[in-house]
Formats: sequence, structure tokens, C-alpha cells
Amino acid sequence: MSKPVVLKSNKYGINLILDASMDFEKLLKCVMDRFKEAEGFFKNAKMAISFEGRELTQEEEFRIVETITDNTDINIICILDNDALKEELIRQKIEQFEEEQAGKTGEFYKGTLRSGQVLDCESSIIILGDINPGAKVISKGNIVILGALKGNAYAGANGNEQAFVAALEMDPIQVKIGDVIGRSADKAQSGKKRKKRQQALVEPQVAIVKDGNIYIEPITKGLLNNI
Amino acid sequence: MSEVIVITSGKGGVGKTTTTANVGTGLAQLDKKVVLIDTDIGLRNLDVVMGLENRIVYNLVDVVEGNCRMKQALIKDKRYPNLSLLPSAQTRDKTAVSPEQMVKLIDELREDFDYILLDCPAGIEQGFKNAIAGADRALVVTTPEVSAIRDADRIIGLLGANDVKNVELIVNRLRMDMVKRGDMMNINDVTDILAIELIGAVPDDEQIVISTNQGEPLVGSDCLAGQAYANICHRLLGEKVPFLDLEVKSSVWNKLKELFKKN
Repeated sequence: MSKPVVLKSNKYGINLILDASMDFEKLLKCVMDRFKEAEGFFKNAKMAISFEGRELTQEEEFRIVETITDNTDINIICILDNDALKEELIRQKIEQFEEEQAGKTGEFYKGTLRSGQVLDCESSIIILGDINPGAKVISKGNIVILGALKGNAYAGANGNEQAFVAALEMDPIQVKIGDVIGRSADKAQSGKKRKKRQQALVEPQVAIVKDGNIYIEPITKGLLNNI
Repeated sequence: MSEVIVITSGKGGVGKTTTTANVGTGLAQLDKKVVLIDTDIGLRNLDVVMGLENRIVYNLVDVVEGNCRMKQALIKDKRYPNLSLLPSAQTRDKTAVSPEQMVKLIDELREDFDYILLDCPAGIEQGFKNAIAGADRALVVTTPEVSAIRDADRIIGLLGANDVKNVELIVNRLRMDMVKRGDMMNINDVTDILAIELIGAVPDDEQIVISTNQGEPLVGSDCLAGQAYANICHRLLGEKVPFLDLEVKSSVWNKLKELFKKN
């Protein structure tokens, strides 16, 4: 026989799986017994609770919570609904929050990223070193490279097209911001031309999205005000 | 009916990738539908030699793992629309793909292409096993050096053991001036040791270095190496083409001609 009350933990707290057919008063008693059994384990815990397996009125939910808090030391902080739509909403809210955080906070990385290495960050990232061809930096926020970008950079990895990529020397293979990808021009230049290009003055540049395209421009005051 | 050809060597640095790029481009010039697959996961190069590195979004491992469709990962060449490249992943290693998965992947490509060329990594480990798993035919590249020939011999043995029956030889980086002086093995010495059909001999050529650096295969151009690669393509199609006289370059008359061309 399956138990009328089953406790399952999830990432928010515990999920209570209740028997659907049992009389409510009897069920309440089972809930109390079950929690008393587990009291030692949950002692003074603060948790969220959700219900499953049985349609409950608000009053019934409330009584269950009351039963638990009255008879044990467990603190129920809130009741969560176990429905997919709400869960999706919560997920979106959390992601939105993360996105806001990504733009505001930052990390440092010191060292050169070589071919095959990938640096993946939740927040913005500042790199003291070069990104070599074949290496990749991914950030949900902005990317600032105090060195040369010669590989791939992917800013605003959660779809944020307001993000930017800045580098002291900008010579990327690909830059992706949000969902927009820009690739370098095909270079079919002779040795002489390449030498000339190397001698040319390198200046700090920033890549941003404008009208659905990636633009790479020198960092100027006017441009910085627009970011 | 499409043909799957693996380009392999055992030893590194003898010119597998350069050969793949040039033979693939050469076949495309002959109006064949060709796809090049870089199986060197973790040390990819073919995209650089083809000048297509900046177009890579998805790669072979993404296809195998189902992160994208085959069409999304295939990169169309910038010069020949009937030539495509399936790049390898740079951030993974050889164990990311199994021989069974390679066979499945190749079978998927057979419908759309006349020739499927596989650029094999150096070595005889998993990368090699992946590359030869689906192959019908193999081109073994070697240079006229004892060490490269030793490795080529081992590779030919392994190909036989893995049921790749149609194996042909490309001798790369021949330096006729050294052969003449007796400091380098000539083509006959190499074919004597390896005892498989010769399909091409490619001279050592400065132009190769320039072309790989620029990402533009030189097959079909009028330099000797370009002609040699074009001839290999014709022979792959079953045509009888006489081998180039690689000594042409060292004659006085030609040196004079070259001088005038430069000015």
C-alpha cells in the first residue's frame, strides 16, 4: 500500500505528495505523524512547501501548514504552487534578475586564452591578456579585453543586444552580441600588405550592435555616451 | 554513387591538411559536389587552410551530439558553391566522437555529395579510427623521409586490417635538386618500400606556404605544386594522366623565364 503522505525535497524546500481520496481530517493526522517522524531531520528548518496529488482549497492548505508549524519546529516560509505555468514565470523572473545582475557585476581574468580554451562568465568580464585565434570568451554581460582579441567573443549571451565587446586591439574572427553574429572580412592579402597592416597604429575599439549588425568602432567619448 | 576518401599519413606535418584542401578544391573545379570533413578534433586546421575560419558557428561535434542540423554546420566555400566544409570542434577532444557516429554522419552526407574527403589527424589512436571508419578509399601522404615512410607503412597496414582496400600513395615535398644530388629518396625508392599505387607526386614549393597562410588552395594554378594537385584530382576520377616532370623547374631556360616573369 502506498503511503498517504510522501515527503520529497526539491530545490526550494519540500514537496508534499498527498493521497487524493482520503478523508481530509484523516489526512491531516497522517501529515502530522509524518512530520513528527521527520522532525529530527528538519529541526528548525526554514522551507517553502508545495502540494501535489490532491486538489486543496486555500483553507485546507492553510490548515496543513498550521498543523506542521504547531506540532513541529519547522518554519514554513511560503506555499509554492506546483504548476508549470507559474514555474515558468518564476524562472523568467529569476533569469531577468540574472540578466540585470550580469550587466552590473563583473569579474577579472588574468592570462591569455589560447586556442581551444573557453572562458564562460555569468557576469561581465575583464580580461588582462589576449584572446588568441581558436579561443572563445562568453559572457552574459559585457566583455572588455585589455589585450588583443584575435579569437571569438560572445557578449550578451542571454540575448542582450545592448552588450558590448571592447579590446585594445580588435582583430576578431567572430564577434557575437545577443543573437547577432559578425565575422571578420576574408583576408586575401599579399605579404607586403599584411606587413603594412601590422605596422599601422592599433587603437582600442569597441563592438556594438546597431540596426541588427555588428559595428566595430574606435572608442570615442561620443560613442561611450551612446552605449 | 558517392565516394568517401580519407587522407591520412600517420606522421604529422607531411601535408594531410594541405592535400585535403587542394584535392577537395580541385575536385570542385571539375564540377563535382565535394564536402571536406575535418576529423582532427581539438587541433583543427582545415578551416584555416581553406580560409573559412571566420564562418564557423557549429561543428562536427555539434552535429553528432544533435545540437544543430547538418545543414547548419556545413560551410559553403567562398569560391566554389559546390564545395562545403564540415569543421571540427576546437574545444573538445577525439573522444567526443565514436567511429559508429562517424559512419552515420557520413551516410547522411552521401546523398548530397559526390566526394566526401576526410582530413585525418596524425597518429593511430581514436582520431584515426574515427576518420577511417566510413572510408571507401584512402590517400596516404608521405614525404621522402625515412621516418615518414615508416609511419606510412604502419598506416597502410592498419588500413588493410580495417577493410579499407583501395589505398593510394601521394609523395609530398619532393625536392628534385636534393634527389639529383642523391641526398633524398626519389619516387621509385618510396614506392619500392611501400608497394602501393602512386597517385601523385608533389614538389616542395614556396607557393604552398603562401597559399596555406592566405587560406586559398593553389590547385589549378600554374605553379608545379598546383599542377601536381590538379593531376591527382584527374587520376582520382579514373583518368590516365602522365606524371609531371618535376625537374623542369631546375633547367636554366626556365629559371630565365621565371626571372622575366617576376619583372
